[in-house]
Formats: sequence, structure tokens, C-alpha cells
Amino acid sequence: MFYRTAGQFKTSYTADQALFPVRQDAVLLIVILAFAWIIFPLTASEFTFQTLLIPILIYSLAALGLNILTGYAGQLSLGTGAFMGVGAYACYKMVTLMPWMNPIVAILLSGVFSAGIGVVFGIPSLRIKGFYLAIATLAAQFFLVWLFEKWAWLYNYNASGAIQVPNLEMFGVYVSGPQAASFTQYYVVLAIVSLLTWICINLTRGRPGRTWKATRDMDIAAELIGIDLMRSKLTAFAVSSYIVGVAGALFVFMWRGAAEPNLFDIPLSFRILFIAIIGGLGSVLGNYLGAILIVGLPVVLGIVPEALGLEIKSATVEHLNVMIVGGLIIFFLIIEPHGLAQLWRLIREKLIIWPFPH
Amino acid sequence: MLSEIFVEPFVDMVSAPDFLMQVLWEGLVSGILYALIALGFVLIYRSSRIFNFAQGIMVVFAALTLVGLHEAGVPAWVSVALTLGVMFVLAFVVERVVLRPLVGQPDIILFMATIGITLFLIGFGEIIFGGENKVMITEQLGIPTDSVVFEPFGGLLILEQKDIAAAAIAALLVIGLLLFLNKTRMGRAIRALGDDPQAAMSVGISLQTIWVLVWFIAGIIALVTGIAWGARAGVSFALEVIAYKALPVLMLGGLESISGAIVGGLMIGMLEKLFEIYWGQPLLGGNTETWFAFMLALVVLLFRPQGLFGERIIERV
Amino acid sequence: MNVHVQEDLSQHTSRADDGIAKGADLLKVENISLSFGGVKAITDISFDIKKGEIRAIIGPNGAGKTSMLNVINGFYFPQQGTITFRGEERRRARASETARDGIARTFQNIALFKGMSTLDNIMTGRITLQKRNLLWHALWKGPAEREEIEHREAVERIIDFLEIEHIRKTPVGRLPYGLQKRVELGRALAAEPALLLLDEPMAGMNLEEKADMSRFILDVNQQYGTTIALIEHDMGVVMDLSDRVVVLDYGKKIGDGTPDEVRNNPDVIDAYLGVPH
Repeated sequence: MFYRTAGQFKTSYTADQALFPVRQDAVLLIVILAFAWIIFPLTASEFTFQTLLIPILIYSLAALGLNILTGYAGQLSLGTGAFMGVGAYACYKMVTLMPWMNPIVAILLSGVFSAGIGVVFGIPSLRIKGFYLAIATLAAQFFLVWLFEKWAWLYNYNASGAIQVPNLEMFGVYVSGPQAASFTQYYVVLAIVSLLTWICINLTRGRPGRTWKATRDMDIAAELIGIDLMRSKLTAFAVSSYIVGVAGALFVFMWRGAAEPNLFDIPLSFRILFIAIIGGLGSVLGNYLGAILIVGLPVVLGIVPEALGLEIKSATVEHLNVMIVGGLIIFFLIIEPHGLAQLWRLIREKLIIWPFPH
Repeated sequence: MLSEIFVEPFVDMVSAPDFLMQVLWEGLVSGILYALIALGFVLIYRSSRIFNFAQGIMVVFAALTLVGLHEAGVPAWVSVALTLGVMFVLAFVVERVVLRPLVGQPDIILFMATIGITLFLIGFGEIIFGGENKVMITEQLGIPTDSVVFEPFGGLLILEQKDIAAAAIAALLVIGLLLFLNKTRMGRAIRALGDDPQAAMSVGISLQTIWVLVWFIAGIIALVTGIAWGARAGVSFALEVIAYKALPVLMLGGLESISGAIVGGLMIGMLEKLFEIYWGQPLLGGNTETWFAFMLALVVLLFRPQGLFGERIIERV
Repeated sequence: MNVHVQEDLSQHTSRADDGIAKGADLLKVENISLSFGGVKAITDISFDIKKGEIRAIIGPNGAGKTSMLNVINGFYFPQQGTITFRGEERRRARASETARDGIARTFQNIALFKGMSTLDNIMTGRITLQKRNLLWHALWKGPAEREEIEHREAVERIIDFLEIEHIRKTPVGRLPYGLQKRVELGRALAAEPALLLLDEPMAGMNLEEKADMSRFILDVNQQYGTTIALIEHDMGVVMDLSDRVVVLDYGKKIGDGTPDEVRNNPDVIDAYLGVPH
């Protein structure tokens, strides 16, 4: 009844290719945006900002970047963590070498360094495919993390080997460092994530998206209809690594406040991969859904036992979390390999027909 | 600078040949262990085209179970038998709960399912066994713990007996596996299933039985690896990360070749040790063993995308 | 309600305007030999395809027909021989470049992109004609959107032509075999090729589907003016549709001429009856 599409017909291709051809989708989006831009920031507590709102957005962005490469272009990458690191360290060097630079510009520029390195490590994809490529991305992962530790210039020769985010101002307001308010940081993250998401939606619904999907589905046929596989794969690596790099800069500058090299190690890569898989490979929405689940789960697991009056050690909660995520991955792969995004699509189709059975 | 890279390391090698032999031996022993993990991968891949990411955690899990049982008072060899039982149950459960519902799905889905299994076993293992480092029950199993000392070239070469034992057991395992796959009926069935599941099933080979069997054998290999490695380095979840090293071994040796896994493992083990000692530590600050194997495999694959032992893939339209 | 407007579609064959007159050589293969390892797939074959004609390539299984098509397509590189397309001799080129030159094809085992809808699959056929780069697409509004709409219109004309409007948003993996073949034809047509290669377009179809497909092939040739090279086993179809025929057997050419000439050629008859020669 609510999602009735009868009566909504398109009279031009432009209308048909609009982002939300169904009116109810547009309404739903406006509601979500209202919550994101107005309601949440005004009502959320410090805890909610730090444990839920900000990390969900940042992880969604990182998963979106990975999804472009793995979900759309079909190139499996296990090196996401390291590329986030490249973005973070690039941003750090820029703000410490050029303190006059606008922090947001620095964050957006740091993706360029990630993109460059991403293209270099993407070159093997022209010869190597499938699992072998995944293992090749591990070469990038392990090498870069080693580099983060050994190349002291990256962390300004700091004795601890870690980078600390300095207090950075923009138009008189602190956006990063110990002085920055979560409120401000949330808006910066929301703005950047929204911008990059919009760009990804545009890319995936047009020629670049089709080129990537063709490369993923049958690269021989793609080549034979005129797609330059090298350009297709390398642009996927470039765009993906750019987004992941920006996510890495946000990760450190807008959330954690500090970073050591092992922050960007394999567990981070896998966490992003799980978000992309559970959310749905080849989707934009899925990354948000996956991030909400993966970030929210440990929080829920932490709260529920208390609420029920049970005593569980926090370490056990952590292990349970790992177990449940593993179980969830298997569960989703059996029930719905296309992830939460596909589940939403199915629910939506049912809503459109409701209350009729078919 | 150039001489530092291209000349001095070799001079160092030659000037202290006993040390060189020690380095090579250490590399060889690591290589054997990488090869054993790779062996588990190859077995499962050949019979089901599944890239079993969980092989590493199976090693840890087997070792933890063994040690855990013994700590609970069970005698050493009984613990071994019980652990084998546990690995069998694990194989059975994995086949039932994970593999059977996913039959026919693309390889990437199955690969990700094994990542899910890995996570589950890590969490589960931590809850049951706890996360502290444990000691492998080496002596209780009758593995000698002394060292053997040689004096080549007037220098010093120390070989741990447990490493020699590990090498011997690994060699026996490989020979046994090769004989099993090539000479027995079960072994032929396994190979048939890997080549063409439909055809194999049409002649009466049961998919489920073979898969349980294969995962169980992988579990046995995991236990042997766990014992050998635990004896050297203690038993902890850190072992799981070391298992990543088996991946470049597979890249070099190909996913389907047992001999490839062995040769690849030994090569990687020795080369990464050599690189670390003679180039990594003096020139690069050390700790290069985290990435050297991967870079090496990557370079080899750029020139031979099918690995050193794999078959050339011809694409047909 | 389907109203077919007979447009003059020949104005859309922008790439057929290459200065080559109808009836002149569009493609010429000379002394082509191709082997894989020790197996010789094609031995010293020469023939031509004239602009505007429908050329059938026939022969028993394993004769080398698909390999010949793959050579024309640029997927395989012959060890010997030359290929001249539109008057220019082909240098060793990547497979994607022959597509840009104006050769499109369909495949024996359908090679559609299973993760995309019918509309998207056919839109991928327009790839060589789309010019706006990544940055414009990142913005969407403006030149990129205009280009997308322009190509969408061209693709919709093809969808109309092939009568597949009702499945345009369906993922191709869900379509029955016959419709998938039609979508694949649509994708090849979308590229506005000068030369269209069809590899067993009627394979696995029933009588009705074959009649439809024959009609489409004839329409493409007559309305769009596209030159077609066609591998087909159904002799009735071959004799009815084609202007000229090439016959292959064991990688060699054993017949070349009009359908009637070829039908009466004793070598061809022997090859099909399995008489050793």
C-alpha cells in the first residue's frame, strides 16, 4: 500500500534513469538524510558519536572503495588495510609539512597517493587472476605495513613509532586533534562520505560501471567488444584506492586520533572485506548496511548481557563477536550470497506488491 | 652502495660457511612447515576446487586441542587419538553445515565461506582454550629434544633433533599421501572428483563421503604441522598468521601440485631466511620475512602466471 | 501493443561509411595458417567477404570454423597469412582494437554478462562509441548524462527491432536460451559494426525461434546494410539466407561460391557424408 508504484510511469529516458525513479524511494532517502544531517547529530551522545555514528560512516566508505574493485570490477583485494594506511600517513605528512593547508583538502588529497600506489600494485592484475591476485594484494598489504614501521620519515622520527593527530583548525573551529568536538568531526565525515558516495553512484550507473561489470563477468567477451581491459582494471584500482585512502585519512584524523603501523594490518583488511561481503558485493547501499551490522554487533553484544543481568567478561564478548561474524558470513553466503543489499531489494519488492501476494 | 647489495652479502656467506649452513637449515625447517600447510590446501583444492583459507586455523585448533586434552590429564598418545577424533568431527560438521549448502556456487563464495570458518574457529578456540601461549607436549610424545652438533669447516652447526624429527615425519607424510592418492581406490576417487565432479558422481563416487574424508586428512596434516611447529615456537593464535606464508608457496607451486607444494615450500623457506639474514638485517632494518615470500611469488607470477609448476591456462571462446 | 515503424535505419550505419562500395572486398584473408602447439587448426585458407553480403562458413565439426572467426576477430593470431579489413592490412593488434575498427560478433556458447540486465548488456555494446571520460561520469549531470541518453535511445531502437522490450530490465542470467541469443545479437548490433560475425546463431533453437532469428539476420543485412559472416549447421538456413558460402574441412578450404555451386561440389558432398579424402 505504501510502496505502490502503479501510476508512476516514466515518459522520458532521463526520468527512467533518474536515481530514484520510484517516489517512495526518494521519500525514504529524504527521511534517512534528515536523520543523518539533523536528528542524529543533535541528539546523539558522545558515546554514540564515537562508537557508532562516526565509525559506521568511515567503514562504509572504506567498504565502498573495496566494493568498486572487488564487487564491480571483480578483482579480489586483501590489502585494503594497507591502503587505508597510505592515505592516513599521506595526510599526516601533508599537515605536518604544510600546516597552512586546509585539513579537508589534505584529506581529499591523501587519496591521490593511495590511488597511485594502488595502480602500481594493480598492474599484476593484468596477468594474474582470481585467488592468485588476492595473494598478490597480500604482498602489498605486508610490504606496506612493514614500510610504515621502518620508514621513520613517515611518522616524523617519533620515538614511539606512532603518529598523533595534531589540532587542526578550519574557519576557527577545531576539526581534528584532542581539541576537536565529535559533533564537528561527524559533519566533516558525513560531508566527505556523502560526496564520495554520490560520485560512486554516478560512476557505477554509467559507462565506467558497465565496463567494470563486464570485466568482472567475462573478461574475454569484454575485450572482444572493445573494452580495454588494462584501462578498466587500472581505473578500478585507482578509484578504489583513492576512496580507501580517504577513508584511511578519516579513520585516523576524524576518529582514532592516533595510529601505529599495525593498525592497518590484515585484520582491518578482513573487517572491510566482511562489510563488503555481508553488505553485498556490487552494491553501494550494501556497504552502509554491512557497516551498521559489523560496527553495531559488538556494541549490542556488550549491552545485551548487562541488560539481561548476565556476567560476561569483555574478552569473551570480543571472542563471541568474532565467532558470530564468522557464523554470519557463512549464514549469509548460504542464504543470500548477494548480501543485505539483496535482502533489502527483496523486501522492497514485497512491499511494492503488499498487501497482494503477487 | 652497489657493492653492499651485490657483493658483500655473498662475501659474508662464503666467509662463514657454517653460519650459512645454519641459516639454510633454519630456512629448510620453516619451509617444511609451510609446505605441510600448503599440502592441506592442495588436497582440498584438488578434490573440490575450494581454496580452504581455514587450513591455518585448523593447525592451531589441532595443536590447542592436543595440548588442552593433555593438560586436562589425558595421556599423550591418547590425546593424539582423541584430537584426531575431534578433527574428524570438525570435518564432518564443516561438510554438513558449510559445504553441502554451497555446492555449485562460484569459487569465490566458497573461499569466503572458509574465511567465515576461520573466524568462527578463532573465536570458538579463544573461548574454549584461552588466548595465552601454551607449550607443546613434545617430550610426552616421545620426540627427542636434544640437539645434534656438527662441526663443518671448523665452525659450528647445531640441529635440533625435534626439527630433524619434523622433517622425517613430514617426508613420511608426503610419501604416504602420494601413495594414497595414486595407488588406492579412495585416492583415485578423490582425484576423479577434483577433475570432474559430475562425471565422478555419475560413476557412483559419493561427494559427501569424499569431502569428509579429504577434510579429515587435511585435519591430520594440520595436527602433524601443529605438533612440529608448536614444538619449535609454542602454541598460540599467532601460528594462524604464520600460515599466511603458505599462500605464496601455493602461488609458486600451483594450487594442484603436491610436489609443487613441497618444492615451493622449501624454496620459500630457505630464500626468505637467506634474504633476511644477508640483506634484510644489514641493509633494510630487518623483519623482511613478513613480506619477502609474497613479493617473490608476485615477481615469479608476473613472468609465469601459472606458477612454477602449474599448467598453462589456455582461454577458449 | 507493438507498432513497428519501418524507419530508414541505414542512416545509423555511421561506420559503414568507409568509402568501400557495396560489392567490393570488405574483408580479405590470405593464406591463413593457425596452430595450437602441435595441432594445426587452419591450413592455408584464403577467401574474401564482400561488402553488403551474407557469407556463410560451413563445414563438419572441428573443421576450424570458430577458429577462423576468432582469427578474423583478432582473438587468435595466425602464424602465417594476412588479414585485410577495409583496405588496410591488419598489424598484430589487441582483441579490443578489432572491435573498435568495426567488427562485432556473437559466440557459440553465449558470452553475455550474467550480472547485468538486458538493457545494460546491450549498452555495453556501445562502449566503443562512447567518448566521455571518467571524470564527466563522476559528475553525471551534463555531458555524461546527455551521452548516456543518446546511446540509450540507440539501444532502445535495437530493443524494438529485436522485440525484446518486455525483458529489458531482466538480468540476462534468468532468460531462456533463445532470448539470450537475441540479446547477444543486440549487443553486437549496438556497436554499429561494418562486419558482423555470427557463430551458430540458431544453435539449440526450435523452428519458430529459427524463423525469428532468420528474419532478424535478413533485416539487419537489408535495413542496416551490415555485412554478415555466419557459421551455421542448418543447411536450409544457409542456402536460404546466404549470398555466398565458404566450406571448410579439417582446417582447409574445400569449397567457395554461391549456395548452388557449393551444394553441387563433389568435395563438399564427400566431406559431409564422411567419405575419407
